[in-house]
Amino acid sequence: MSRSRRIAKEMQDAQADPQSGIRLEMVSESDISHLKGYFEGPPGTPYEGGHYQVDIEIPSDYPFKPPRMKFDTKVYHPNISSQTGAICLDILKDTWSPVLTLKASLISLQSLLTSPEPSNPQDAEVAKHYMADRRGFDNTARYWAKVYAGADGGASATATTPAKTPDVFELYGIDRDSVKAFESMGFDQQRIVEVMRRIGIKKVGADGVEDRILEELLK
Amino acid sequence: MKVTINRWNAVSTWHWDHAQEELCGICRVAFEGTCPTCKYPGDDCPLIIGECKHAFHMHCLLKWLTTESSKGLCPMCRRKFKTATD
Repeated sequence: MSRSRRIAKEMQDAQADPQSGIRLEMVSESDISHLKGYFEGPPGTPYEGGHYQVDIEIPSDYPFKPPRMKFDTKVYHPNISSQTGAICLDILKDTWSPVLTLKASLISLQSLLTSPEPSNPQDAEVAKHYMADRRGFDNTARYWAKVYAGADGGASATATTPAKTPDVFELYGIDRDSVKAFESMGFDQQRIVEVMRRIGIKKVGADGVEDRILEELLK
Repeated sequence: MKVTINRWNAVSTWHWDHAQEELCGICRVAFEGTCPTCKYPGDDCPLIIGECKHAFHMHCLLKWLTTESSKGLCPMCRRKFKTATD
């Protein structure tokens, strides 16, 4: 069994190199094809201080085929699905090489957090936010790192639900005052947020946007 | 003084004539060991060296080159893999 020998070696190597900040663990003692990887959010990014957990499934023809990786920790990032954690990264797809390792792949994920590629998005909504309003995006990404990835002593890396009830405005990067304006017309806050998320609008201001939201709310 | 040798054991070691790396990048086993499918090291499980000077267990590299995703490229440098002639 070439695959299990190589995986065992890779786990040993990762353990022998704690400096890398990459950790690999088996989910169950009896199954070497299902691992979890862990690393810290890179400094100088909205993900700084966050602890990230990645689910790793190793195909039977590894290392000739790439490992299948997805984020267990929720991440707000253009190349990571905010819903499923699916990742868009070339080396995990068509530019995989058998000389790459699990450690190298996790380090690549870490640098993906540093350098998003919004032109090739996995989450189109998040990418749109990134391109249109970089500051707003950073705030939301930082907030997600806090509630989901435990930055600033928030939740733990394994949390799929936030430690405290999250602020919906921060969570979706939606402008508080825009929602308040509709609330004063008598609409329910939850419904307004739901509509704005669905049609992908973060803020009222541009012409016609207000009417579009109203139209949806009145449906 | 006269010494009579009654018995002697010869011991020798060998290694491939290729010093750049020690492990096959594909299976991560020493070049002097075998690829995952072979039992005996040496001539039965030789190395292959590309024009790009990258070396692998021959069996490991051939397996990679048969996959569609390899596109015929060297796993190390992603140049077209061509076996070095000398």
